[in-house]
Amino acid sequence: MAEQRLVVLQGADERDLTKLAEYRAIGGYDALAKARALTPQAVIDELLASNLRGRGGAFFATGRKWSFIPKPDQNPNPHYLVVNADESEPGSFKDNEILSRVPHRFIEGCLITAHAVESKHVFVYIRGEYLGPFEAVRDALEEIREDDQLLGGVTIVVHRGAGAYICGEETALLESLEGKRGQPRSKPPFPAISGLYASPTVVNNVETLATVPPIVAMGGAAYAKLGVESSTGTRVVSLSGNLVRGGNYEVAHGITLRELIYDLGGGVPDGRELKAVIPGGSSTVILTAEEIDVPYDYDALAEVGTAMGSAGVIAIDDRCCMVQLGIRVSEFYEHESCGKCTPCREGTRWMTAILRKLEAGEASDSELDLLLDVCDRINGKCLCPLGETAAMAVASYVLKFRDEFLAHLDGGCPFGSQSPLDGVVAPVNQHTQSPVAEVPA
Amino acid sequence: MSAPENVTLTIDGRVVEVPKGTGLVETAAVAGIEIPVFCYEPRLGPPVGACRMCLVEVEGIPKLQAGCTLTAQEGMVVGTGATSEKAAEGQNATLEFILVNHPLDCPVCDKGGECPLQDLTFRYGPGQTRMTFPKRTLDKPIPISPTIALDRERCILCYRCTRFSESVAEDGQLVARNRGSMSMIATFEDEPYRDLFSGNVIELCPVGALTSTQYRFEARPWEIQNVPTICGLCPVGCNISATTREGKVKRILSRNHPEVDQGWLCDKGRFAYPHLYAEDRIATPLERVRRRGFGEISWDDGLDRAEALLRGAGGRIVTALSGSETIEEAYALGRLLRVGLGAHSAVLPEATSSALDAFRAPLSSIGHAEVVVVIGEERVADRAPIVGLWIKQARRNGGDVVELAEPKLDAELEQRLRSSDRAVLIWSGRAGGGGARLAELAHSLGFDGKPGCSAFHLPATPNGRGVAEAWAAAADRDEANPEPIGLLIVSGDEAAADPAVRALAEKAEHVLAITMYHGLAVGWADLVLPATSYLERDGSFVNLEGRVQRLRRSVIPPVPDELGWISKLAARFGVEISPHASLVFAELAETVYGGEASFGDVGERAPLPARAAYEPPEPRPVAPIPPPAAAPAEHFLGTLRLLRYRPLFSGPTVERVPELRFQRPAAEVELAAADAERRQIRNGDSVTVRSESILTLRARIDRRLPPGVARIAEEHARDLGTTVEVSRSSNPFTSAGGERA
Amino acid sequence: MSSGWGTPKGFAVTFRQIFRKPITQQYPEYKRPVYPRFRGRHRLQVHENGLEKCVGCSLCAAACPADCIRVVPAENTAENRVSAGERYARIYEINLSRCIFCGYCELACPFDAITLGNEYEISEYSRDDLIYTKDMLLAPPMKTVPVADRDLYDTPIPVYRSSS
Repeated sequence: MAEQRLVVLQGADERDLTKLAEYRAIGGYDALAKARALTPQAVIDELLASNLRGRGGAFFATGRKWSFIPKPDQNPNPHYLVVNADESEPGSFKDNEILSRVPHRFIEGCLITAHAVESKHVFVYIRGEYLGPFEAVRDALEEIREDDQLLGGVTIVVHRGAGAYICGEETALLESLEGKRGQPRSKPPFPAISGLYASPTVVNNVETLATVPPIVAMGGAAYAKLGVESSTGTRVVSLSGNLVRGGNYEVAHGITLRELIYDLGGGVPDGRELKAVIPGGSSTVILTAEEIDVPYDYDALAEVGTAMGSAGVIAIDDRCCMVQLGIRVSEFYEHESCGKCTPCREGTRWMTAILRKLEAGEASDSELDLLLDVCDRINGKCLCPLGETAAMAVASYVLKFRDEFLAHLDGGCPFGSQSPLDGVVAPVNQHTQSPVAEVPA
Repeated sequence: MSAPENVTLTIDGRVVEVPKGTGLVETAAVAGIEIPVFCYEPRLGPPVGACRMCLVEVEGIPKLQAGCTLTAQEGMVVGTGATSEKAAEGQNATLEFILVNHPLDCPVCDKGGECPLQDLTFRYGPGQTRMTFPKRTLDKPIPISPTIALDRERCILCYRCTRFSESVAEDGQLVARNRGSMSMIATFEDEPYRDLFSGNVIELCPVGALTSTQYRFEARPWEIQNVPTICGLCPVGCNISATTREGKVKRILSRNHPEVDQGWLCDKGRFAYPHLYAEDRIATPLERVRRRGFGEISWDDGLDRAEALLRGAGGRIVTALSGSETIEEAYALGRLLRVGLGAHSAVLPEATSSALDAFRAPLSSIGHAEVVVVIGEERVADRAPIVGLWIKQARRNGGDVVELAEPKLDAELEQRLRSSDRAVLIWSGRAGGGGARLAELAHSLGFDGKPGCSAFHLPATPNGRGVAEAWAAAADRDEANPEPIGLLIVSGDEAAADPAVRALAEKAEHVLAITMYHGLAVGWADLVLPATSYLERDGSFVNLEGRVQRLRRSVIPPVPDELGWISKLAARFGVEISPHASLVFAELAETVYGGEASFGDVGERAPLPARAAYEPPEPRPVAPIPPPAAAPAEHFLGTLRLLRYRPLFSGPTVERVPELRFQRPAAEVELAAADAERRQIRNGDSVTVRSESILTLRARIDRRLPPGVARIAEEHARDLGTTVEVSRSSNPFTSAGGERA
Repeated sequence: MSSGWGTPKGFAVTFRQIFRKPITQQYPEYKRPVYPRFRGRHRLQVHENGLEKCVGCSLCAAACPADCIRVVPAENTAENRVSAGERYARIYEINLSRCIFCGYCELACPFDAITLGNEYEISEYSRDDLIYTKDMLLAPPMKTVPVADRDLYDTPIPVYRSSS
């Protein structure tokens, strides 16, 4: 029986860690004191030893990212730490939990990181719809505001986003933070060299930063013993979809998907069959029910052609129509495409159109190949990963469930309105679309 | 700056050597290889990599890269669509995606035939469509201003126009709205796009999304001729191409002289050409006939009548030049009047000088300046709009721009100017002595030995300096002011519209006017000879840098051009003058330009002559700028000095273009914030402006205006005196429209 | 040819022709039918709803090797809708004295608006009258020419007849 391994969320079940006193009582902010006693380089070395890799989805080694920041004598501009709390991936809600339940651990991580990269300015870009987490962080900041020593001259600004998925892409986030249209920048230059206001900037995910205090507290080497070799430590996994017990579970890397779904998530309700699993949020390649014995770590998932992404595991049972799932996912990316680069802007729209035709039973089999070709033509040509992951995800539905797609060719969807996707991926029209083309007077 | 090191790289198997940091698109062009682009435009700032047309394969990088965002690196191996199958497939995919929602209305579209999207689709795109669903449809065309129409269906979202608006013109009015496939270009808050440089977005647009309303459905690319000439509406002399069809000018395009205009044009230069076809244009000579007003006469009679007027004046002739004649025309007129009649007296709106030749540099040098000092009370954009863009570029490049109302530098600024290697002085105001005062200042700051430091005077007339030089070269005698004036010759529309010239005409016994328009000549001239426009002449202009640039005749004028009939008239006075501009130029070049310049050399992109040695300008009586008026006792709020200015969108040319009406200044008085506050005037209030006469205008608060000044456009200031009282209109029913209260 | 048979041989041809039917046709009383794809006088086509097919794109003028077509377009307005698109041909002239009837305009036309008909009797007393204006090109031809039965020839039905 698989069990949780609490590191980031440690203590949150027993105590109300949103209160400073409670957090202090379990040794909160001790790691900050410990880190500040070290040189910035020593903290970075600790992180390198822990082999912590970014929890936002790209899985880039955090210590290495920090070490790219030029030293103040190399670049006179101020250094910035920007926290990516714009968690908008369908299926992923771990940052919500972390910010709501352990805001002080997250703030402590911010302060340690600010020390490590010699920054005095922290910007937290939080998803606009995350009102609860925003209030938790705001209240926590209010609590420590009096304590100048704790803040150490660092200002933390919490900025609420305006509801754009693309602003979770780090450069689009920076543009949005600067007050511009949220569109990704072309890289290089990377944010570490020229980020916010053309200054060296570290952009990290919430979970990454909340993992930093435990690493400093227990030591990087001790943290590296958790999990498996390539993916050290723990991961807060969001379980959702057709499951008995959905929710966030913090587990050590290496647990299999089957254990996640059946032991922690309680399996598929009402005795139905599991049909497929999206392992890392809607942008990842889908896995069939036969493939779920794969260990939940970066390398193992990469071997089966998918990714851990932002650790949003969506279980899909046998009532669900894969074409309808494709439409929902494709519509989401069409709606959230920023419109900057051509393949993503036009390609996602095209994908949706073909999928809709398939669902209505008006498509021919050549259009199934066309869909795959369109996905292929988006892939590898976009400015940022949004369009590419969308294309890969949708292509995987076709490739892995081709029979089901073929069944749509004559007579339309065999599932019809019976396919209960409501608990799996929300439809895109929950956002109001506003195609305005008014003539100015 | 030390010379940048060179790097060697391979593109499509060809080895190229370029300076490190050169963009890959330019590097490929050096090797003769095309990397197709839509969104890439170096003049708009850093590349954005949005359109994905420039995809190339770079050895060692698994993903295709946007070529426009890359720079040349040592040992790079690049494959473009020509050799790399992957890159070709990527480019093909990009075009297929673009065309998914691009309407195929090329036969209707004005861009059809000169459209980069069309061209690149033929070369790199798919031959067939695989798209089976309806295209996105939107309302079209949307007039985003009276001069620009926007077709959002055709837009491929390269963001060139918004980037121009944001980072070149810096007006921030064009923005992208919505997201994803519903992204669309819009003006901020759907207001009309009102900017001095808005027309450039038409030329930047790689498809037919932004088109000119004037050129709309006028011609197709295979029916037109483009005549390379220059704009004659301001002293910058932007290089333009006049597109003509069937003997009519249909549009003006930029011809990019990188040292002068960098390919940008102001809206006046771009959209004012319909003045050629104004309804009140004069086609035949007009003679004053008692009772009936004016009567049309033949050219032979017109010349006879002109001869009679000239002979009758007995040498007591004054010529009011407008400063927009070609130098050849001014020279011919000078020969006729000075050699033929001994009439040496001529007036120009503004003094001219060649003193700044010692501090000459291309206008582009402003763009890299460390510090730019703008002296004067007139806005740069009103006198020489493109200079305003260069100043903005200097600011974007990190330079400091200092604006001073008067040429008084504080010690710190003086020290900065002395120590800088890249400092620029710009005189944008009256009483500059044609640059003589600025030259003295530049000399005192030690600019002589520093080629990076330059000084520019922004004259009020397009070719005042060239005209003055040509007039001076026509004969070797001093000017004498005849009293009383027997004949006043008014040359050109600007002179005819000038109140000072009109005042002079009151004193003259006879007036001979050379103008294009009825409205300007009727009522005061004895004889009117039709004039031509800068688009209809051959000749040359001297711009504010001192660059001699050539005007080419774009269309045949409806009347004989000035040089032609001046030459005929001169023959009657025994003066020989060629009717051909090239021959007149050759004659003139020997005396004025040291025999070096030839008409051919002035060429398509005129070079800038070398700097001259500094010579102290001859002392001239220069009217000083009046000091701000002290508060007189009788009115507790005090009076303000009236600052009249000639807006860019004014004058007889602009008045005849209905599309430019929206650009003309509103009936406003601009006040400094402090002055307005003291009078309890808020932005938009209706105010009464009082001196000898009374006007009601709308107030606009300008934070950059020095206190003590009320700024009113010439056309709205009318006959106000030099000092005015400004107060809030007491009568709430008085509408702010510039009527006389 | 020194055999001496040359002269009688030649006369044999002459005598043979004397007894044959002459091929002279009594034009203009008799008009010989032209082939269905004969290229004669141009016509401008209209849609069934009366709107002109021509949008004034000038592609015909671009394709014309004799440079005999002049198009001046203008914009359709709600009050004055002439063609289906945004623009229409305000002036459409073909100088038939220059036209070489190559049919390139027909090929170039993206809307099948200009077609070449079968009429070849377009002589006039004045060259000016040979400049056909839009009104003349829109109107059916005054003189008609008999056309050979289409079925006798392997003539494809043109797109503009079959699908619009």
